[in-house]
Amino acid sequence: MWIEKFQIKKTNKIAALYPITKLWLTAFYILGTLIVSTIRIHKLPLLLLPWFCSLFIFASCSGIRKKFFKSIKKAAFVAIIIFLVQAFIVPGGEVLFRFGILRICSTGLITGTNLSLLILNIAGIFVWLFQTTEYKEISRALEDNGLNYKACFLFLSTMQMIELLGRNSRIILNAQKARGVETEGNVLIRAKAFIPSMVPLVLGAIISSEDRVLTLESKGFDVNCKKTHILNVEKTGNEKWAICIGIGILLFLLIGRIVLWIQ
Amino acid sequence: MSKVKKHSIKNDFSMLALLIIPVAVAVNFVGGQLAVILKLPCYLDAIGTVFGAILCGPWVGATIGLLTNVVTGIANPITFAFAPTSIALGFVTGLLSEKKMFSNIGKIIISLIIMAFVSIIVSAPIIVLVYGGVTGGGPSVVTAMLMATGTNIWASVIGSDGLFNALDRIIAFIITYFIIKVIPDRTLIKFSCGEYYVKES
Amino acid sequence: MDTIIEFKNVTYQYPLTKIPAIKNISFQMEKGKLYGVIGGNGAGKTTLCALIRGFAPSFFKGELQGEIFIDKKNIKQYQNGELSLKIGYVFQNPFNQISGVKDSVFEEVAYGLENFGVPMAEIEERVVSIMKKTDILSLAEKNPFDLSGGQQQRVALASILVLEPDILVIDEPTSQLDPEGTESVFRVIKAMKEMKKTVILVEHKVDLLAEYADEILVLKGGELIRKGKNQEVLTDISLMEEGVLLPQMAILGNMIVQSGRKLQEIPITQKQAERIFSQF
Repeated sequence: MWIEKFQIKKTNKIAALYPITKLWLTAFYILGTLIVSTIRIHKLPLLLLPWFCSLFIFASCSGIRKKFFKSIKKAAFVAIIIFLVQAFIVPGGEVLFRFGILRICSTGLITGTNLSLLILNIAGIFVWLFQTTEYKEISRALEDNGLNYKACFLFLSTMQMIELLGRNSRIILNAQKARGVETEGNVLIRAKAFIPSMVPLVLGAIISSEDRVLTLESKGFDVNCKKTHILNVEKTGNEKWAICIGIGILLFLLIGRIVLWIQ
Repeated sequence: MSKVKKHSIKNDFSMLALLIIPVAVAVNFVGGQLAVILKLPCYLDAIGTVFGAILCGPWVGATIGLLTNVVTGIANPITFAFAPTSIALGFVTGLLSEKKMFSNIGKIIISLIIMAFVSIIVSAPIIVLVYGGVTGGGPSVVTAMLMATGTNIWASVIGSDGLFNALDRIIAFIITYFIIKVIPDRTLIKFSCGEYYVKES
Repeated sequence: MDTIIEFKNVTYQYPLTKIPAIKNISFQMEKGKLYGVIGGNGAGKTTLCALIRGFAPSFFKGELQGEIFIDKKNIKQYQNGELSLKIGYVFQNPFNQISGVKDSVFEEVAYGLENFGVPMAEIEERVVSIMKKTDILSLAEKNPFDLSGGQQQRVALASILVLEPDILVIDEPTSQLDPEGTESVFRVIKAMKEMKKTVILVEHKVDLLAEYADEILVLKGGELIRKGKNQEVLTDISLMEEGVLLPQMAILGNMIVQSGRKLQEIPITQKQAERIFSQF
């Protein structure tokens, strides 16, 4: 009954899908994005916009609407920058619009729209994947499907190490501030604060790694035998359906694309 | 001490290396964050890759690079595309370390140039083809300005990003140098390339 | 008498050093006893622990001469992992004994069992039982990194004890702990003794050794200068000249004897002292 407590339970049916299935869906979506991007309206891949809206609806159905919105912001920012730079700066083709020194050229507009929408869509599906799946689950499922346990260890250990070192770096930075190391002022002063904060952090982590070798060996890390796992990641039974629907949509897009070509 | 030459991939991935990889990735991550907190004009997100590769060789270096972009990609998928840059940097730095190219100041300068060169050669096509020249980071402003003056997109990217890369590698190396200076010799020799940096013989 | 650990003329030298850390040491240890190891800094206590567990020379490299037998089998003949099941190893820094891949104490304690492929039902039973014995069951769902030093050290002990090793090597488990943490760790060590484990315990706090150890080994400069019964070694005032600190009660007892009075026995623990001095 203790072991029950450490299982990951999800009520949402899409979010609860097996991680490998979700990886497949991610791959399907990227493929779909590439197909959709080849359909041009006035030479622009504008269908990628409704395609992205469907991803948003999909994410909402997976129960992560708020998280999705929060995480996609960064990617959206980059996408907008790319669009603006391409549209306003890159010369070439006919000038579509001119306002003072600002002008939009067709080449830039096309590349800009294409790149930014592609990036938004591909980033979006990864946001969906990682917001509905805990990294523990992904690593566990990959190990079940043949990934070496040492690779999984690296992944999990990295996630914890980031949290740990992040915490320590804040402690060290505050300690440096208390000692009078300046962290504000011009670039050179701020740069000077960087090295004394970084060196002890890294050094401490390296030295403790030596101890941790002994820890892991004591706990039988590199024993060659089949390992047990407390965390179980199981299929919910809906996986086949998910894959079928995914392939179905992909086929529909592919046929639609071909039909448009023939016309 | 045994003088058997090892340098097989399997030996590179010792238990200690398996523990250093997460540390190195976390250092990349934290270094990047610290650079943001201190508002420094560079990324500083490859320090772990550099010291990991210098201590443990090319394969571990490449692994650190890959894992760094997988992990940062989880938070911000935009960075996934730069995995080849990190992998190449880790691999080349490790190779240079294995060939004892960090043993004197002359070789160090050559190595740093090679490292910066490899980074830009691998990342320029990604920046241009995937992101159309700008990624929203520090160098983007310079790139955009260069492009606005009519400079060719490749030249703009290589110029601005190359500058940032060179600066980043130098800082990463200085920090690695300080760290290796203070690691005790008995710890150093446990890394597959560590014996090259033992202070007294 | 049942020998479980035997050293035959063992000399060991770390790489890059000129002097051996352990010089020609020979001794035997019996099953089920608690051995205290004392000595100053650089006496070779930690090296001795690493030798028993096989980490020297497997991890620390360096040169080993002489032979070490664990359960009458040469340590070199043990397979990878076999020693982990036979000998548990716990050391100073509790923080570094966390695996770093688990986010709850329960999973942390179970990690070794997972690695050895123990069936799920058995894992739960063994983990819960050991967590009760080490008094950490109430921490089961906490993150191991969020615990205090004393709690972390008990988690470290539990995650080794759960593998049910016959021998436990414990290297200064309390050096970084406050008195309360120290006491809680020693309660666990006492419980191990009751489980009939052979325990090798390096500890500076001789007063605690006086209470718990069966035999004491005294190291100095890499040599084994004394090995004998608790009572014998810890009352030997001549050891003070070698830089060994004796329990306070033993020092007091010796002072009383030196002042010309007779004691039926020199005490090493407070309880003994109460009994002996009450007959004054």
